[in-house]
Amino acid sequence: MDLPDQQALREPSQRVSARAVRMWTVEALFGVAWLWVGLVVWWFFDADSRAAQWVVGAVLLVFSVGYVTIMPRWRFRVHRWEATSSAIYTQTGWIKQERRIAPLSRVQTVDLERGPVDQLFKLASVTVTTASAHGPLKVHGLDLRVAQELVEGLTEAAVAEKGDAT
Amino acid sequence: MSEQPPDPAAREHRDEVLAEDAPPEPVAPVDSSPVPAPAAPRPAPAPAAVPEPATVPVPEAVPELDWRRLDARMLLVHPLETLIRSLPAVLAIFLARAGSDSSERWELIAVPLILAYGALRWVTTRYCIQGGQIELRRGLLHKQTTTARLDKVRTVDLTAKVYHRVLGLAKVEISTGSSAKERLVLDSLRVDQGRRLRAELLHRVDPTITGLPAPTGAPVDATALGDTAFGDTASGVVQGGDVELLRLDPSWVRYAPLTLTGLVTAAAIVGFASQVLRTVGDESQTIKSGARWVGALAWWTDVLLLMAGVSVLAVIAYVLTFWGFRLTRNQRGSLHTRRGLLTNRETSIDHTRVRGIRFDVPLGLRLAGGRRLKVVTTGLSHERGGSDWLCPPAPAAVVTALATTIVPDEDAVRGPLQQHGTAARRRRLTRTVVPVLVLLAAVMAATLVWSWPWTIVMPLPVLVVAAVALARDRYAGLGHRVTPEHLVAGEGSLDRRRVVLNRSGIIGWKVEQSFFQRRAGVANLVATTAAGQQHYDLLDVPLERAYAVMAEISPDLLAEFGGSACASDTPLPPPVPDAQ
Repeated sequence: MDLPDQQALREPSQRVSARAVRMWTVEALFGVAWLWVGLVVWWFFDADSRAAQWVVGAVLLVFSVGYVTIMPRWRFRVHRWEATSSAIYTQTGWIKQERRIAPLSRVQTVDLERGPVDQLFKLASVTVTTASAHGPLKVHGLDLRVAQELVEGLTEAAVAEKGDAT
Repeated sequence: MSEQPPDPAAREHRDEVLAEDAPPEPVAPVDSSPVPAPAAPRPAPAPAAVPEPATVPVPEAVPELDWRRLDARMLLVHPLETLIRSLPAVLAIFLARAGSDSSERWELIAVPLILAYGALRWVTTRYCIQGGQIELRRGLLHKQTTTARLDKVRTVDLTAKVYHRVLGLAKVEISTGSSAKERLVLDSLRVDQGRRLRAELLHRVDPTITGLPAPTGAPVDATALGDTAFGDTASGVVQGGDVELLRLDPSWVRYAPLTLTGLVTAAAIVGFASQVLRTVGDESQTIKSGARWVGALAWWTDVLLLMAGVSVLAVIAYVLTFWGFRLTRNQRGSLHTRRGLLTNRETSIDHTRVRGIRFDVPLGLRLAGGRRLKVVTTGLSHERGGSDWLCPPAPAAVVTALATTIVPDEDAVRGPLQQHGTAARRRRLTRTVVPVLVLLAAVMAATLVWSWPWTIVMPLPVLVVAAVALARDRYAGLGHRVTPEHLVAGEGSLDRRRVVLNRSGIIGWKVEQSFFQRRAGVANLVATTAAGQQHYDLLDVPLERAYAVMAEISPDLLAEFGGSACASDTPLPPPVPDAQ
């Protein structure tokens, strides 16, 4: 029952690409833009509550600026990954953070995804799934070349494994 | 025949392509739904879809394979099922017709259509076992082929509803994937034929995995199962060497009212009744007088009546579901349950797929000294309600004894759990008490502003006390334990459970921390698995303890990514450079 006292898990060794900050900024801008669209619509359809609209607009402005400037940098400081010959280890999140580890022997699929914003910045995200429907490992904002190499390495390791990885 | 897949949801979890030793042929259902037609209410097929049976391609098309059909008595069952399923529509038509004086009875056309549809389904559905695969083909216009590798078969279910039982039939459901949707359904075979198929499937799996010889010697080949299967010769294979682990004691019915089943059943009945009443509409006089009668009674009589009604429903549900419950284990460890009063249900679980067990101890059962047991296995997912029962609500002693037979790890089954400490207790308190306090404040404010009667506020302090009690009980249930074989996780109060998860079933780890958890120095340690719920959590464990648990169970991972001091004794391979 008594377990040996452990040093904390260290952080994964690799950072994601520095361009990821810009990618997240663009994504944040798109996210925030929807709120502004909502405000503008409200402005046009309801001319009687200008005061409330100014207040909401001010709050939204502070929130937007904060979100767009802070979130990407905070994320960049948190997001890390590491792949070895036996396991993959990621750390993601910003306000809520998580670390995931999966042994390569349990890896089932390795996906490389490039959304439009990813492509703009020559980035890619890699998703590693295991036999558990819960919690695939994702690494966002990887440099495209790094991502491709990672996928190749992981795929080789996964193919080499026998058994159904459950 | 079915232009659209009968169950669109069946496609959702299909993409779990396994990156393993590549099978020669596709593993899981390829582009077809594994669920055959009886999935959703459907109208009678269009007349165009009813050709002469003679034009249907017959098995001669592939002479080398031994194609088998479903049992011919399904010609009786399919139309019946279709009729029952379209009963609401029929009722609606009938009611709509009742008002008008039109004498046309065009809905009667539906009957021959339904009959033809059933016949067509029987004619076009074939299955065969060949080359290590089971293949199911069905459909006339929209042909669907589902294949599954035999060594992927995880569980086999036999279900017999009342009309199946009258005809001696059973529906066979073969589950092949970690997602419950990946399954083949043969609706229906003769009971003994189904059992023989089950034995065949599960026995075929075992020797390849365990290296043990199949009890029947050489694996039965497909022809042996074929048309000669109407004898009783193979029943011994199923029955032979089984050990009975549990048989339902009728007195356990007393636990039924203590679970939520009664409430759920009552809610379902009330919902159904209200819908029917809305359709019928004119019975309101009886309802009104009934309501008046109930309203005239004292409030405690109403409560008693309600409780009695719910209890009766719970008992009925318990009896219907669990009557004749029997759990057996065959000589190679596969678990087999059989239960049901009207609908008979048999589930066989390949023991190599079992990853643990789960005790459910909801509050009511706990107060009465009862609990229930479920199995944590791949191939049965929680959405498939009910096939994972190992023991219905029963006395704790019985369940614990059963659990120790299935998981021979006394510590994991009975041992006390390590509690998660003060931070976890404080977080339990905040989570229950703060919402109640917010509610209290809101109601007080409302009372002051809109001068609501003060009687509304009176019961709220009781709520605060209840919240504190709930928090304390939730903390008492929270805990974990690591044994040489298992990880044990307990949590919850109203729905307390204790999961005993096999260490080898853990296929990954997640440590998550919210902002407040980071400040409190605790984390949720999540063990992911391919079985059961797919993940089992240790909530609010102190961070260093979380890492210690990980280090104990996956020492090599911690050695690789751990800090300086590493307690693992096993020699580690030299650090290998990254995959790139």
